[in-house]
Amino acid sequence: MLFKQKSFQRALVAETSVSATHVLSRQRDSRLYERGRMYQRLSMFITYIILIVGAFAILLPFAWLISASLKTTTQYYASPIQWIPDPFVWSNYVEAFTTYSFARYVGNSLFLAFYAMIVNTLVSSLVAFGFARFRFPGRTAWFILMLSTLMLPAQVLTIPLYVTFKSFGWIDTFLPLMVPQLFGSAFNIFLFRQFFMGLPRELDEAARIDGCSNLRIWWNVILPQSKPVVIVVAIFTFLASWRDAWNPLIYLSSQSNRTIPLGLLYFTNGFTAVYPQMMAATVVALAVPVILYAIGQRYIDSGVAIAEVK
Amino acid sequence: MLTLSRTEERAGQGRYNPIRRLLHKEGVAGYLFIAPWIIGFMLFSAYPLLDTIYNSFTEYKLFGAPQWIGLQNYQNLLFHDPTFGLTCLHMLLYVVLATLIYIIGGMVLALLLNRAFPGNHFFRTVFYLPSLMVGVAIGAMFTQVFGAEDYGLVNEVIGIFHIPPVNWLNNADHPILGLFALIAVNFWFMGGTMLIFLAGLKGISPTYYEAARIDGAGTWQRFRFVTIPLLTPVILFNTIMTLIGHIQVFDTALIFAGGGSGSIGFNTSVLGYRNSLATFLTYLYQEAFVYHNYGYGSAIAIVIFLITLALTAIVLVTFQRFTYYDR
Repeated sequence: MLFKQKSFQRALVAETSVSATHVLSRQRDSRLYERGRMYQRLSMFITYIILIVGAFAILLPFAWLISASLKTTTQYYASPIQWIPDPFVWSNYVEAFTTYSFARYVGNSLFLAFYAMIVNTLVSSLVAFGFARFRFPGRTAWFILMLSTLMLPAQVLTIPLYVTFKSFGWIDTFLPLMVPQLFGSAFNIFLFRQFFMGLPRELDEAARIDGCSNLRIWWNVILPQSKPVVIVVAIFTFLASWRDAWNPLIYLSSQSNRTIPLGLLYFTNGFTAVYPQMMAATVVALAVPVILYAIGQRYIDSGVAIAEVK
Repeated sequence: MLTLSRTEERAGQGRYNPIRRLLHKEGVAGYLFIAPWIIGFMLFSAYPLLDTIYNSFTEYKLFGAPQWIGLQNYQNLLFHDPTFGLTCLHMLLYVVLATLIYIIGGMVLALLLNRAFPGNHFFRTVFYLPSLMVGVAIGAMFTQVFGAEDYGLVNEVIGIFHIPPVNWLNNADHPILGLFALIAVNFWFMGGTMLIFLAGLKGISPTYYEAARIDGAGTWQRFRFVTIPLLTPVILFNTIMTLIGHIQVFDTALIFAGGGSGSIGFNTSVLGYRNSLATFLTYLYQEAFVYHNYGYGSAIAIVIFLITLALTAIVLVTFQRFTYYDR
């Protein structure tokens, strides 16, 4: 760790010196110019080394995971690590889906995540439209109140909700996970509102003069212009639901209702640990964020930028 | 004036419909649009918060109504509960170290990647992707990576340096190693802050660097007196978000507490081997939803909430002393 930090520091100095030497070289003689070039090459070289080592360290556990998911139990415990499984045990995946019911869990998780994505995104953008395009007394106060709820850890509020949902008989149904999505979420509303504020009002006005209702302005004018933020919010809402362990753990109890995180928490065949199959299920769970990132990559960069402009 | 506009309106609309007129008022329409959030706020934030505050002063078990016992829950929690004391110690270590990893690591990566070179995009993707995967699944992977025997990846790697295998998650002599494993996992999630830092760096106008250079500022000086000051709003935002996020660590701690068995069974504690992985939320989960001790759980919840507020306030005040807003 110490070594890592030191090399990071060195890289930092090298990184910032590039442009300095560049300017120098323009002003002074060619001998200095040559030296500047050398520094620049050297700093690029060091940057590459750090990045390659870092990326290798980041990727190593994932490579191990994929390899482990294709092993037999004996190979799994082999030391030194047998990186290329022999034979490839594809049946681990089949078993994860059938014997360990992951087909069911994936279905549950997909249903909840798509529901959250569609409903929460739509409602959040509707609320954000209200904040961004209408003037009404108390608007700023409500908005600040909404931002301050971001500091309220949701898990802290679970006990009263659990008691309430229990009295409704909603425990071990999907309702406690689905109903709260109907009201949007503060962070999504904030992201949408920031984006809508940057859209020109002329199109709204034109649509209004043409007789569009508020709802149609939202649907036909605002949303089509907001593709980047819609995609970013949709992806992040999907992922938040996909990886949520707290709420399913508290509100769901029967095996057939489990989502993927619960399936992983309770992964056992009742007698011994079944790691290769569990790693196969983990690969399935982790593949979804990768796929979503591949889809929304172009927009996620800009989406994070929106969040930052406070 | 008044009569004129009224007649105009009547003339324009033909029929006079009071409901439609009301809906078209800007204020009413605005409130209608934000109504879903207001209702959700009342039902899922305001009411639970007030009820949790009330419950925290009561004895409230699975069966029976809450009974007022004053400050007793808080007294027990703060003065007579060694497990909670241990949890606080864990959280102090975890939050400070994990936040440092996020901020320093994210910053260094952003500085390295803040220029064009072949492969830049590849590295960004590699560093950013794992931060989208936070949760039980990546925790499941890391329980195995930190596996006890020599088959675990970490033990295999340190074996190259001839260090004997370490029992990370169930160490009888040093239970704290489990917490360090939990902290180390954060190295994989620096990408989120990196991306925000990159956005922030892009927003700094090159003219500042130009001016500093003309004034003879060296590399370090430019970093210290241009980059850092102009980046403080972003650093502040990142610090607060990661602090709040780290106080809420739950998924990874819970699956680590399975002790590498990959399952939270009946005989394994939610808090890990000898409570070595107790975090605020796993402790709250255990008290409220495993032991159904709602009154005590509410007191824990309120304390977590207050600590979150206090930490945010401290960060805000500290940063206020040297923040330069330029935009």
